[in-house]
Amino acid sequence: MHHSHIDRFAQGDSPVHRLDARAKLLAVIAYTVVLISFGRYTVAGLAPMTVMPLAMLWLGRVPVWFALRRVAILSPFIAMLCLMSPLYDRTPVRAALGPWQFEVTGGWLTAADVAIKFTLGLTALTAMMSTTRFSSLLEGMRRLGMPRMLVLQLGFLYRYIFVLIDEAMRMRRARDFRGAHRAPVQRRLAAVGGVIGSLFVRTLERSDHIQTAMSARGYRGEPRGLRQLRFRLGDAAFLAAAAGYLLFCRWVYPQVL
Amino acid sequence: MIVLPFAMHMANELLSVPVAGATLALAAGAVALAGVRARSTLDAEKLPLMGVMGAFVFAAQMINFALPGMPGTSGHLGGGVLLAILLGPSGAIVCMTAILIVQCLLFQDGGLLALGCNVLNMGVVPALAGWSAYRGILGRSAAPKPWRQYIAAWAAATVGVTAGAGLVPIQAVLSGVLRIPVADFLAVMVGVHLLIAFIEGAITFAVLAYLRRTRPATLGLPVADGRERLSRKAVLASLLLTATLLAGVISWFASARPDGLEWSYKHRAYGASKESVQNPSPTVRGVDAWQVRYALLPDYSRRAAALGQEPPQEPAHGDGAPEGRNQPEAEAYPNVNAWGSLAGLLGTAATLGLVYLLATLIRRRKTPDASS
Repeated sequence: MHHSHIDRFAQGDSPVHRLDARAKLLAVIAYTVVLISFGRYTVAGLAPMTVMPLAMLWLGRVPVWFALRRVAILSPFIAMLCLMSPLYDRTPVRAALGPWQFEVTGGWLTAADVAIKFTLGLTALTAMMSTTRFSSLLEGMRRLGMPRMLVLQLGFLYRYIFVLIDEAMRMRRARDFRGAHRAPVQRRLAAVGGVIGSLFVRTLERSDHIQTAMSARGYRGEPRGLRQLRFRLGDAAFLAAAAGYLLFCRWVYPQVL
Repeated sequence: MIVLPFAMHMANELLSVPVAGATLALAAGAVALAGVRARSTLDAEKLPLMGVMGAFVFAAQMINFALPGMPGTSGHLGGGVLLAILLGPSGAIVCMTAILIVQCLLFQDGGLLALGCNVLNMGVVPALAGWSAYRGILGRSAAPKPWRQYIAAWAAATVGVTAGAGLVPIQAVLSGVLRIPVADFLAVMVGVHLLIAFIEGAITFAVLAYLRRTRPATLGLPVADGRERLSRKAVLASLLLTATLLAGVISWFASARPDGLEWSYKHRAYGASKESVQNPSPTVRGVDAWQVRYALLPDYSRRAAALGQEPPQEPAHGDGAPEGRNQPEAEAYPNVNAWGSLAGLLGTAATLGLVYLLATLIRRRKTPDASS
């Protein structure tokens, strides 16, 4: 397994890690809703929205660069759209910050707005995922009413994703060692088809084996886990604090401005 | 090496809350229906194992294919259409939903609230459109000819991927965050995704060719007679067809842009520079007026203020949207707001400093415990 870097901080321990998965999930969903409910020209108004994701990262002992690296990796598509925006929206707008005033176009404000929201939203999501084990998150989603079938499926997906990725990487390396780079296009395509096709056949067989093994161990469609979730007073306090904070960001702070 | 990405993941930031909510509800309904249908075709104990198939799609995306004619560039499979062909549309939708949720949570690709859009664009629509195209071309024959199956796979990938990608600009424009005219946005998305769809189609039919030869049962075919090979003619034919389609779509958009598609009235409502263009149709004007009056986003009032550098006068704008007051934070009334926003920034920085201090204190207290 060489891929554990994706949620490598989730196994840690900190005040944020100890919070109930449901509390964190609800808080991050509410945060995202509030974030996208701001208008398209909001830039300075987003300032207090930086507090929650950064606080979760710091208190959860997740390095900020880890979240920012995810932002950098995922940004090309959104960056392209941000750069297209100034071409179309040329409404002149006067922006001001303290003693400084400057003229910009609406398109640039929108670009800045979308980029900031993207960074913040992604940081909040990374903060949640880096402080919550995936299994606890799944259990939390099930308690919040997600269909059990989907939860089970997500569990299997998470369990086997790295196993199969390792297998695919091995097959890819084997193909490359056999000189697939220099083959003509048609042979190269056939090689890709062969690798993916046999991976599919292996996956089918593997899932049959898993099912047989599970039935042999008494599985009858009801998963059982050891880890139990408990919604404590601290979780309620965290949710209340998050709600108050979001209300402040969305309705109080813009009025003060 | 450049890897052509599957650049369709919708981001939260391009959506408004109503559009996000509506697409989430729509996607949930579609997935629930697909789940019920899948349960009737597969037995209930096997359904969770669709998760393992989802892991297969992630793994298949690791297998790169160096593109001909573009050295240093490689593409990979998206997988939605291949799943629809192999598992049927309802199985594919259920499976893709799980994949998209994991992509969103674990890899942060596509936002939480954009999940509805992503399930529609990359799960429901490609599976249904791709599968119908595949079945339509394949016909009812029990043992279809190889070329027919290849063309069907290629068409399914093209139709599925492009139809899904075409929904992205429509959802973005309905949300009204970006002011990019829908026709331009659509042309870019569809153009890029026709190229991606070609790679998808090529790999999909390579996989089908392999399975046809080695495991015909997975495609619902009788055992193959003799050896079949991926024919160069099929590859060339599909390449030619893609090029024709690409040229056709681009020229269609190029010719359609100036005088407008039916839906370009939407970008008239946003495009400030195009305000002078009067559209004579009363329907279009009616839709514009309706949009301005009932728009859930308060941005329209903001725009009116920014354009004329004065506060909005129509009462329909101001009181319709309570948040409207919040929007012009720094720009429209610089005298009132400028110091406020500076103070806000300083306040935020101070708060963050406090939180950071707290976090370091907790860490310092913790560290000796951990080491001892």
